This record gives sequence, C-alpha cells and structure tokens, in this order.
Amino acid sequence: MRQKLRWKPWFYCVPALLLIFIVIVFPIAYTGYISLTNMNLYHWTDYGFIGFDNYARALFKFDSGFLAALGTTLVWTVLNMAIQIGLGFFIALGLNAPGLRLKRVYKTLLMVPWAVPAYISILLWRVGMFNTEFGILNKFLAMLGLGKVDFLASNGIAFLSCMALNLWMALPFMISTIDGALQSVDGSLYESATLDGAGFWVRTWSITVPAIRPIIAPAAVMTTFITFKQFDIIYLLTQQRGYMTGATLNTVITYAHQNAFASNNYGLSSAVSMLLFVVIILFSILTNRSLRED
Amino acid sequence: MTRKGKNTARLALLNAAFILLCLVTLVPVLYALSISFSGQGAALSGDLSFLPKDPTLENYRAILFDKPFLLWLKNSLFLSIGTIALSMLCAVPAAYAASRWRFAGRRGMLRVLLVLNAFPQVLSMFALFRVLRLTNTLNTHSGLVIIYAGSMCVFAIWNMKGYFDTIPREIEEASRIDGASDLQMIVRIVLPLARPAIIVTCVMVLITVWNEYLFATTFLLDSQSYSLAGGLYQLQSNDYSRNWSVFTAASMLASLPLLLVFFKIQKYMVSGLTAGGVKE
Amino acid sequence: MKKVTALLLALALCFAVLAGCSQSDPQDSGAPSSNPSQSNNPPTAPVTITIWHDGDEGIMQTIADQVNAQLAADQITVVFEKKTDMPNQLKLYGSDAVNAPDMYFYAHDVLGSFVAMDILAPLSDVVDTGILADHLSMTVEAGQIGGTQYLLPVYFETLVFLYNKALWEGDIPDTTEALYDYMVAHTDTAAGTYAVVNQHTNAYNVSPFINGFGGYIIDETAKPGLNDPKTIEAATYNQKFGALQADGDYNTVTTLFNEGKAAAIIGGPWLVSGIEAAGIDYGIASLSDIKLPNGNGLAPFSGIQGAGVLKVALAEKKDALAKVLTAMASPEVGVDLANKSGCAPANNKSYDDPQVAAKEMITIIQKTASTAQPMPNIPEMGSMWGPVETMLTAINKNGTDPAQAAVDAQAAAEQAIADMQ
Repeated sequence: MRQKLRWKPWFYCVPALLLIFIVIVFPIAYTGYISLTNMNLYHWTDYGFIGFDNYARALFKFDSGFLAALGTTLVWTVLNMAIQIGLGFFIALGLNAPGLRLKRVYKTLLMVPWAVPAYISILLWRVGMFNTEFGILNKFLAMLGLGKVDFLASNGIAFLSCMALNLWMALPFMISTIDGALQSVDGSLYESATLDGAGFWVRTWSITVPAIRPIIAPAAVMTTFITFKQFDIIYLLTQQRGYMTGATLNTVITYAHQNAFASNNYGLSSAVSMLLFVVIILFSILTNRSLRED
Repeated sequence: MTRKGKNTARLALLNAAFILLCLVTLVPVLYALSISFSGQGAALSGDLSFLPKDPTLENYRAILFDKPFLLWLKNSLFLSIGTIALSMLCAVPAAYAASRWRFAGRRGMLRVLLVLNAFPQVLSMFALFRVLRLTNTLNTHSGLVIIYAGSMCVFAIWNMKGYFDTIPREIEEASRIDGASDLQMIVRIVLPLARPAIIVTCVMVLITVWNEYLFATTFLLDSQSYSLAGGLYQLQSNDYSRNWSVFTAASMLASLPLLLVFFKIQKYMVSGLTAGGVKE
Repeated sequence: MKKVTALLLALALCFAVLAGCSQSDPQDSGAPSSNPSQSNNPPTAPVTITIWHDGDEGIMQTIADQVNAQLAADQITVVFEKKTDMPNQLKLYGSDAVNAPDMYFYAHDVLGSFVAMDILAPLSDVVDTGILADHLSMTVEAGQIGGTQYLLPVYFETLVFLYNKALWEGDIPDTTEALYDYMVAHTDTAAGTYAVVNQHTNAYNVSPFINGFGGYIIDETAKPGLNDPKTIEAATYNQKFGALQADGDYNTVTTLFNEGKAAAIIGGPWLVSGIEAAGIDYGIASLSDIKLPNGNGLAPFSGIQGAGVLKVALAEKKDALAKVLTAMASPEVGVDLANKSGCAPANNKSYDDPQVAAKEMITIIQKTASTAQPMPNIPEMGSMWGPVETMLTAINKNGTDPAQAAVDAQAAAEQAIADMQ
C-alpha cells in the first residue's frame, strides 16, 4: 500500500508534467543553450558555442536603469494586486448580497472587459480614452471646461493610466474567482455567527475572509506573476515604435526588451532572459514567504 | 418594518453602485460599439458622443462577408475546445493528486511549477518554433493546442488544487467504501463539487486561447487557418491598412461568443457543495 | 491496478484528442497552395511562387495580376501572402526549406539584416541583372548590400506635403520659416485646430529636417550620427514645429487631417485612400520645394519597395523565379501600380506612359526624389529607430535639452549596435 502511494500520485501527474516539459521546460533549457552560443544576425544558422561570454555582457544590462525598473515593477505589482484583490472582494461581496436580483446582469456586464481581446483593449484605451485630441477622458474634461491632459506623457500619470487599464482588464478574473470562492463558504457558519450577534463586517472579516483565503490564494499568486510579467500594457501604451508618449516608465521586462531584444542578438538576449528568470525566481521566493507569513 | 425599509434602502444603494460601476466599466466598449456602427470617415471623431454618426451596418457586413470571419471563428472554436480538453485532461488528475495525497516531491513539484510559470513565454518563441518544427506540427492547429494547453497547465493545476483542498475528504471516503475507483470518484464527486473552480479555470483557458494572437500568427502560415484574434491582429497590425470602423466591428463580434459563454455559465457557478448543503 | 488502467485511459484520451486535432486540421487536408507537387524540370508543370509581404493588399494584387498575366503561358503563378510583422517572421522561417516563402516583398531598410542572416540569394544567382537597366539608379542602389544586388526595386515612396484645399489660405510657403509663421497664425491647440500636422517624434517623419540640415542617423560605416551638431540642430529646429503639431502619433495626425481639423499633413501616398474616402479635396506639394534656413530643401527619406529571393527556394524553382523577377521588373508592372495604386514606379520606362506622367502624386514624388535620400539599408539601421525616436520624444515631449538628449541617444544607439555582434 505504501509502495503504491509513492508512485500513484506521480502517475496522475505524468500527462501534465509531460505537457509542461514540452512547452515550458524545454524552451527554458533551449534558451539556456542559446545563451551559451554566439547566435546573432551574423551567425544565424552557423552559430557556435562560446561559453559564458554573453553572461559577462548581460550583467551590464542589470545596471541602475534595471534597478529603477525593478523598483517600478515591484510598486506596480503590489499596488495592482492590492487594489485588484480589495476591489474584487468588495464587488464580489456586493454581488452576493441577498436580494440583489440583477446579480447575473451586473456580473455579465462586469465581465465584458474580459471578453475583449487584450490588445484590442489596449488600442481602444490608447486611442479612445487617453488620446489628447479624441480621447473620451479629454472630451469629458473639455465638457467640464478644463484643459487637455496628456494621460501618458509623464511617468507619474502614465503609471496611473497603465494601472487603470490593467485593473480594467484584470478585475473580471478576480471578481469571478472570489465570487466562486464565496459560493463555497458554508452558510451555517454565518447563521451561528448572526445568532451570536456579529455584525456584517465582523462576519465578513472573521468568517468570509479566512474561508476564502485558501481558495483564492493560488489565483492571487498566479495573477501576481502575470502582473509582474505584464509587458503589453506599458509597452503598447507608452513605448511602441511610432507611439512613444514621453513617459520613460519601465518594468523589468520592458527594460530588458528595450535594451537587449531590439538587437536581434539571440545569444545575448537569451543570457539576459536567463538572468531575468533568476530575478523572477528570487521574487517568487519572496512572494511565497510573505504569503506564508500572512 | 424599519428593518425591511433599511434593507430596501441598502439594496437600492447597492443597485445604484453597481449600475454606476457597470457604466464606468463599459465606457470603452460602448465607445467601440458606437464606432462599429459608424461610417468610415467618422471612426475617430472630435465630438463626445456614444451615438454613431451616419449609423450603418456596413462594417459588420464587411467583416462577416469580405473577410474569412466565420472560418476564423470555427478555428477559434476548434482551438479552444481542443485546448480546454487537453489541459483539463492533464491538469485535473495532477491537481487531484497534489491535493489529496502527500507524496515525496509534492511540495517541490508545486513550487517548481509555479516558478516555471514565471518565465515570460514571449521569450520562448524561438524555442517553441524549434519544438514545432521537430515534431512537424508547424502550421497545424494541433501544434498550437499543445502549446496553449502547456502554457495554461500550471495555472489550471494550481487553481483547481486550491479548490480541491476545500472539499472535505469524508465525502470521498464514503464513496470509496462503496467501491468507487479513483477515476469514478473524480468524475462523480470531486468535479461536481469543484464546479466553480473548474468553470473559472476552463473560462480562463478559453479566454487565453480566444485572445492569443502572437503564436497563432507566427506558427500558422495560412491566414485561412488563423484564429479570430490572429485574424483581427493581422487586420489592424499595420497603421496604413487600419480601418477603425471595421476593426471595432470585428472586435465586438469576436467578444460576443465569450459574453454568451459568461452569461450561460453563471448559473452553474454555484458549487455542488453549497447547493446541496446549504440552500434549502 | 484499476488506477493504472484509469490513468492509461486518460493518457489514451489525450492522444486521441491530439490525433483528432491533426486529422481535422484544415492544413493537412487542403494542401497549402505554397507547395504543390513541384518537379523542377518539365517547364509545363505549374509552379507557384509564394511571396510574403506586410503591405497593402491592393498593391500586391496589382503586381500579382500583371505578373501572372505575363507568365500564364509558363504556368507560373505568384501568390502574395500577408504576414504580420514579416521581418521577424522571416527570421524564424527564412532558412526553413519546408515552410519558407520563395520570395518576400518589403521596403529596402530591412535588407541588410536579411543579408547578414544569409537567407537571401543575390539576384545574379537567379537572373541576369540586366533586367534593371532601365531602373532609377537610386532605387537600384538601395537594393544593394556591399555592391551585390539583393532586392529588385518595384516602386518607391517619399513623404510629401498634403493640404486641404478648402482650409489652406494662400500658396504653400516656400521656406520652412514662412511655414512656421503660417502655423503660428493658424493653430489653436485648445480648440484642436491645426495648420500642419506631422508625426514629429517619428524618425522617418523628421528625416526631412535631419537630412536637410546635413545631419544623419547612421552613415555607411555604421556610425550613428545622433550627436552630430547638424543632427542636433535639426532636432532642435523640429521641436518648435512639433509644439504646434498635436500629439504626433499616426492615428491622431491622420484623423485630424481627415476630419478637416488640420489644414495640412506631412505624409506619404499611403494616406491618400483615407483622405479620398473622407471626401477631402486635397493638393500635393513636394517637400524639396520648401527650403530650410540653410537654403536646402527638406530632404525626406525614400523607401524603396521591392522583392528579394530566399536562398532555400533556389534549388527547385530557379527558372520560375527568374521569370517572375523579369516580369516584375517590366515597365508594365510600374504602369499598373501607378495607375491603380498611385505608386511611383522604380522602372524609368513606366513614366513614358502618358497616364502615369499625368499623375500628380507620382510627379511630386519623382520630383522629391531629387533631394530625398534612401533610408540606410545596413543591418545596424534596425537598431536605430528606437534611439532616434527616444531622442525626439525627449526633446519634443519632455523638454529635455537637445544636446543632452542627443548624447544619451547616441550612447544608446552605440550600445545597441555593439549588442548586435
């Protein structure tokens, strides 16, 4: 029996692990291999092994600019996650209020941003919302008799604009996850608590939150990584070629993109990717620790 | 009576808050919707209005009949269903194992999976190209299905494992006494109980596949075999060929199936657990 | 034991799904048009030449129609396939004999990268380059790397000055200073009405100033010229124009012009279809007629659009490729392009056609060619767009001191070029 339990779980995991090996592990290993070669425009097919030279050069990419980008990324991730979980929780709670008859309608409407493909959302916001000449936000300001605001021009306001868009795109998932989690809370707990005279907020804090935390934790962790890795929003809103807005906002990924990937030197950029991966692993260890301490 | 009055007031307030929230959320979408019904010249305009200028259905006609929209739709459906099936077939047993049994290497495996998932996949493009070429699946939908399923697998395992953890073991043990096998138990007991998590996971996979365009346009060579997102990306990628009205019309049409899915699944979002246990 | 069975069942299901995928895949059943059974010898067997592009499908169709008509007897068909972000796609597929296209069609500035990657065949390996005898020398030279011809030039484009006849008052100024005065007098940013709009942070759109001042982005020896005094002078001069040109991104400026909120726009022939659709009565002027304070005319970059041959296609389709190239070089392709799509042909003989000579856009572009400079086509050019735009953005939008912005951008460009090796 014991023998059986040692291997059985792994049998269950084999299909998933195989798939993950092909799609995630192999590419990482391959990136590691390329990082040891001189594959670039001039050695596109006839590249050879050059040892750790690329890493020596890649380390120079992790300069003060990178540290600033890392700082931005951490602030970005923490703020986004805090707001996402906080707002998502209250909205889900509101949706589950007894007697809210239009719940399904509200929920479907709130899910709409989720249904819009990401890059379409970004384009829509860049042109439809933030644009100085045609953007709805500026038209609204003009209606109030205020002057034009360039929402993407300087770092501070561009950061907030990017965050607004990220929240718009990411909240639906948080809301539906928390909403799903709320369904699993055993209602009898509330009944006894209500009998004990606990108010709504006390019940929420002492029953709901602890009950749903283990359920949403994995989703929260996964979303944290997605937020950390977020590239499209900041890149497409402020730095796309032909659309630079003046903001010099960088996350670690956009920084690496700007400094290593534009050169078409696959060896070098692979080395940067591998080092970036190490940074992300360190970050994930930190996240894990802080999660456990909670 | 006062209590009821208070409740009504509270509900009214809540409704007002939700209506406002929905409106704010929908502003960009309403804007796109109004463009999609506008004549070509009026696409971007200086006036603040959510009513289309010279209302027309021409954009919808153009996207439905001049472009292989229905073909893309079919491809998207196929890719989505394939990916959901493959990723769930792989992830459900793994999530179940990780949730139910404490085996050597379990914690390490979960941790490693999480870290692996942190690798930005955009950087894997070249390696994935090699994988597909080696397996001769470049330019096929099955190649894309494997990539999509693999990309979502870690997420699916983690997301479902969290929910499986909350399902009391006693329920399973009861059925085990009745002689049910593991597979039977997963299908008959665990999956129904974990319905919200399964649905959210499937929806997440669906959305990822539905919206993915980079791999689709890179690994498929024939635009006839593109998914909707890939096809739309190609339509608007070039500034000089971008037509906002047609593009927004296409976006609205592309989002519609997902919206229908969202609306349809809501009533299944209630866990079997609470449905049986709590609601009268 | 039961569990193992269950597991095997699950695995089997996985494979069934996969197998199902590949069977119902449209790619497998409907053989892709790019590789029909191609036995190279009997000239009677039909051959299809696949060409990747990322441009206007109407233009490509015009080329395909003319070439296919000419080669109908040889049973050779060219098929243009639009690939988004084509240069990056070719980096993946360029050396893949199974999936690579036979040719590509794109502007000449990416040529250096492709040649460095060694995925292109010199035209002389395929066909006698005498087919280019009648082509404008500027377009021919733009298709050469290290003296070897890799690109067959088909048409070319430059920036021009497009104005709304209903809005523009008086003549088009013949100096940039007069133009600036006009802009000051006729621009009201608060109301959102503009005299002239331009993508003033885009390197391509600022090239008329940079080249006109005698500055440069990168020279033949791959040395960036961003902190060259003349480049800085040009960027500084461009700044005061930029301040009166709205946000300067493509969507903003074209929409302003098409909505009648900007009286003029600096742009290319690709804008014309949108302008006509918006029902605007427009005029065209050559940028070389507008003189900078130093007496030079504005000198935009020119982009030469043309076709190159992939090495991997040579083995089996060499003869067909030679015929396609010859057909593409013919004056008739240029005439069709000029008449149907308003493109300026690279073949000088095309201009003998009276209809072509009568086209205003084409004569203006041809005239601008006197001051226009072909974009650099060395591989390093690919690394320059980012730094130049960063520099212009810093100067125009963040008020950075031009000299400082130039030093930073020059350093970034040099680093980017060093990173290529």
